[in-house]
Amino acid sequence: MNPMKLPLYLAFLSLLSPLGAAELNIAFEKYKLPNGLRVILAPDSAAPVVTVYLVYGVGSRSEEKGRSGFAHLFEHMMFQGSANAPKGMHFQMVESNGGNLNGSTHPDYTDYYETLPANKLAVALWLEADRMRSLAITKENLDNQKEAVKQERRLSVDNQPYAKAIVEDFPALAFRNWSNSHSSIGSFEDLNAATVQDVSKFFATYYAPNNAVLAVAGDIKPAEVKKLIAEYFGGLKAQPQPKAPDLTEPEQKEARREVYRDALARVPAVLVSYPGPKRRSPDYYALTMLDIVLTGGDSSRLYQAMVKGTQSVLGVEANLGWPYQQFSDYKDPGLYVVNFTYNPAVDGKKVVSEFEGEIEKLKQAPVSAKELERARNTLRSTRVRSLQSSMSRANLLALYELLDGKPELLNTELEEFLKVTPEQIRAVAAKYFVGARQTVFDIVPAPKKEDKK
Amino acid sequence: MKALIVFVTAAALLGQQSKPPETPPLQPFKLPQIKERKLGNGLTVLLAEDQRIPLVTLRLAFVAGSRFDPEGKSGLSETVASLLKEGTASRNSRQIAEELADIGANLDVNSNADGLTVSGNVLSGQFAALLELTSDVVRNASFPEDEIKLRKQNRAQELAFQRSQSSTLASEKVRSVLFGAHPYSRYLPSPASVNAITRSDLMGFRDRLLTPANAVLVLIGAIPGEQQTMDMLRARFESWTNKPVPTPPSGEAPKAARKLVVIDRPGSAQVDIMTGHATVNRLQADYFPLIVGTAILGGGASSRLFLNLRERDGFAYQANAMHVPFRDTGYVSAITQVRPEVLEPAMKGLFAEMDKMAAEPVTSQELSNVKNYLNGFFVIGLESQGGLANQLAALRVAGAPLEYLEQYVTRVRSVEPDQIQRVAAKYMTSKDAAIVVVGDAGKIAKTVEKFGAVQVEKAQ
Repeated sequence: MNPMKLPLYLAFLSLLSPLGAAELNIAFEKYKLPNGLRVILAPDSAAPVVTVYLVYGVGSRSEEKGRSGFAHLFEHMMFQGSANAPKGMHFQMVESNGGNLNGSTHPDYTDYYETLPANKLAVALWLEADRMRSLAITKENLDNQKEAVKQERRLSVDNQPYAKAIVEDFPALAFRNWSNSHSSIGSFEDLNAATVQDVSKFFATYYAPNNAVLAVAGDIKPAEVKKLIAEYFGGLKAQPQPKAPDLTEPEQKEARREVYRDALARVPAVLVSYPGPKRRSPDYYALTMLDIVLTGGDSSRLYQAMVKGTQSVLGVEANLGWPYQQFSDYKDPGLYVVNFTYNPAVDGKKVVSEFEGEIEKLKQAPVSAKELERARNTLRSTRVRSLQSSMSRANLLALYELLDGKPELLNTELEEFLKVTPEQIRAVAAKYFVGARQTVFDIVPAPKKEDKK
Repeated sequence: MKALIVFVTAAALLGQQSKPPETPPLQPFKLPQIKERKLGNGLTVLLAEDQRIPLVTLRLAFVAGSRFDPEGKSGLSETVASLLKEGTASRNSRQIAEELADIGANLDVNSNADGLTVSGNVLSGQFAALLELTSDVVRNASFPEDEIKLRKQNRAQELAFQRSQSSTLASEKVRSVLFGAHPYSRYLPSPASVNAITRSDLMGFRDRLLTPANAVLVLIGAIPGEQQTMDMLRARFESWTNKPVPTPPSGEAPKAARKLVVIDRPGSAQVDIMTGHATVNRLQADYFPLIVGTAILGGGASSRLFLNLRERDGFAYQANAMHVPFRDTGYVSAITQVRPEVLEPAMKGLFAEMDKMAAEPVTSQELSNVKNYLNGFFVIGLESQGGLANQLAALRVAGAPLEYLEQYVTRVRSVEPDQIQRVAAKYMTSKDAAIVVVGDAGKIAKTVEKFGAVQVEKAQ
């Protein structure tokens, strides 16, 4: 089934049999401008709303040593004005037209989006094209945004329990390649060191039409949207394709352990991680199904065994690429991470050993047909729910184009997950959850000052 | 779609990219058709059939929030919410979790100040099974002793975690200063009051408040037609015994007065500032001028607080204002987090922006921009079934009619600058604000004292 051949206005989404062989049909078409900009249009009239989602193939893993946090700082600069949309206008034009907007920096990409009432689409396309063409790069804007980012760091990292441990110290233990291990928020020192020249170079290198994917989803007429895109983005020039960063990680051959004392945390937590599989490999699908069996909701194995059973832990969350990614944007090299918040009366080592006991069970016996069916149903309904919003449809189509070159995976990947067998799950448990590949990072509340006296 | 063609042509004729495109005005918004029905036992049902997605979204909301918690048993409503799925007369906790997973359904229960709401969704083929589980948990929850014990144990840790966050400490204090003896003063329970809750408290709460006439059942999406849906509802809910609906407890809230509190959080890397004024509910005349004014002050990235405190002064990453409506009243807050060195200018700046709302009329450009912002946000919020379901459930819990949704866009559009100025004078000025500052008291108390007499408290 080729989704691009579907009549465009027919089916928003159809499931032939809600709990049988589910088939998703998100209608879309894909094309490329002569300057290399990849465009995906996904029309449906479910709600009078449209999302413009523009993603660039650059993220925090593209940063150079000494410039940690730069991709994110640059993302802030994208809201500081361009030739025809002076500072403040981007926010104001979108919001005063009834829309909302944001941008975010990820390990492997940086995205910008606007969701608006459908008849305001042109506003978002025009703004995105203007800043791709002519970003206003000034020292004043840069200095101002350095302060905003430092303040963001104080707010969301330095002043939060667990945050510094999770975004800085844990990756430094689990990864050996700086490209993978440094934080995306960056250090104050590196932020201070960034220059206007760095910003210009980064813009020229990465913010080119041929390094971006533009997805428009929602209540649109494709022929009219194509005209607008050609007019606004057509004149942009392609740039030499940027070099992909070297993300190679040496194979982990020894378990790694660290205890981190967190002055702001009041409840202990422990992270257990293992290097994950190659994106889109059979193991990637199998490990994702294993993750649902292990941690997907209240019926999952770890929840039943450790939250309800031994009561050692208060909560558990896990996935490929945690905490920045989900399976949808996980890219190797990366980690499968399990995060337990645990009972202070219990030792972190006991939590890890209970977890290993559950892993051992997965290695010994295949999951039951019933359990696997549950995991499949969870995955199916989660996907259907998420596709209600134009933002989520545009997001996944664009990411699957950027990361896989195949936006049609949105419609077809479910089959890959659903065909995973109990034996494959047993096999990935044995292959990936190996002692020598394990990293354990225990975050314990630092004693309070009064306690020391 | 005629309008769309018009602007495409206009842009093409201009043939230049230096001018922003002209777009047609926002379309009037039409709510999906919502049918209101009632079962014989008083259960109100709201149905919005929409077959475009094979999904059904459910809300079963009760007027049974934390305001009903008895003295010394703060946390009763949230404990009922957290234990509804942990066992019924015929299913234990694990069976409920597994049955939900078998049908790929979500079912969650939450409580806030006014209401307790069961939220669920499921692929349409399994709608009947979700209804069955929903009916069982709200009618037959059995609150097993071992589940109560586990909940208390884990809740104590969760509360410690929540109170390790500065924003929680700020919100908690603002609520208690604003609402005093009114139950809306409760933000989070103490571990001791959670511990004091017994199984008979939980059963009593269920029997008194989780009753049909005190509830609304909202169903949106691929439901099987009105006739069949109502038959399914009668089969599962009609035998639910009707009971009198209790009046929500109330209490005296203090008069607005300037109050400065510092919450000492040693080791804080920054300082949270949060102001508060008690306001009105959705049905009172000041409500729409107030939410429009609040958005001009601090809603979104074109608001005064964002543009001035963040973009111009670089004091903060976040600087915003919000209005939280309750059933009986509401409150408005301005919130920012800054580094200790700029605390004094940031507080001055924040207060100046609040006071300016009362001192000068907003400009017509600001006003028209923010009306579009609010109305667009409202329409986009209804893009998913859950968005509409949440609105409908919240309205019923707040005692507001469906017309509130229908009239929202028009009433936002009708707000005038003089109305905003008048409500700002009543609810936004710094002279009678509750002001809570959370940070390392050793570093910041002296600065805060420049703004008046300060009460310093330890973080709980």
